[in-house]
Amino acid sequence: MFNNQPENQADNPADNPGKAIGDARRCLRMKFAMPSDPRYLPVVRGAIGPLAAAIGWDDSECRAITLALDEALANVIRHAYHNCADGMIELECRESADGLEITLLDKGDAPDRSKICAREIGCDQPGGLGTHIIKNVMDTVSYEESPEGNRFVARKLLRKTT
Amino acid sequence: MKISIRDVGNAKVVEVEGDVDLGTSPVFRRTLFEALPRAAKVALNLAAIRYIDSSGIATLIEVLKDSQRLNKEFVLFGLSPAVEEVFRLTHVIRIFQVFQTEQEALGTA
Repeated sequence: MFNNQPENQADNPADNPGKAIGDARRCLRMKFAMPSDPRYLPVVRGAIGPLAAAIGWDDSECRAITLALDEALANVIRHAYHNCADGMIELECRESADGLEITLLDKGDAPDRSKICAREIGCDQPGGLGTHIIKNVMDTVSYEESPEGNRFVARKLLRKTT
Repeated sequence: MKISIRDVGNAKVVEVEGDVDLGTSPVFRRTLFEALPRAAKVALNLAAIRYIDSSGIATLIEVLKDSQRLNKEFVLFGLSPAVEEVFRLTHVIRIFQVFQTEQEALGTA
């Protein structure tokens, strides 16, 4: 289970049956539980782009957000589950008041923080590209170990131009 | 992902269609590394790629480095918006020779 608590009880009408769904704060929330198998990555990519578009990002930013999420999932498959397809990854994408929050939770090996490093701009080595993309696209990124597993949280702010 | 190779003179043109991601990049990588020693030039058509992730970009960098070691040419052409976006985010476009068309990539324009 995720630790993220609803912003208020009305977020989940099941927690408050006397409250109509229309009274709940209308925020889009998408949850997946996917095996650590790369063949499911296109399914998640197919969902996150339209979600980002619904929140308000343009096509280019939706592609970038999709890429960042895909890279984060690929990192879990490669480094936490060592390319074994029998692990599980819980994914939550949640519209927040100011943008989007993505949370991944896995029960694989904890990441070695000393090895989480983005490549430097201008470097022509292939390593570290995925981490570079995630940090470049998202506004904040954090990794933490919790009793539930390894938690990756990334947030992106929607910057309104009007 | 669909991938095919055809001979054009002393070059090989590699056509890729669909998604290059963690699941498909091993085939993408193997195909390019098999084509490289068998031609003076390998031209990769990226126009029909809907999606490419960092594993695909890392493969392109590895193939480019191997082409330099083997004294071969490895060039790209027909970048789709999806590919351009990833190149922009990874800042690696400058290390590749990129052309608009196959004719330009093969030097027959």
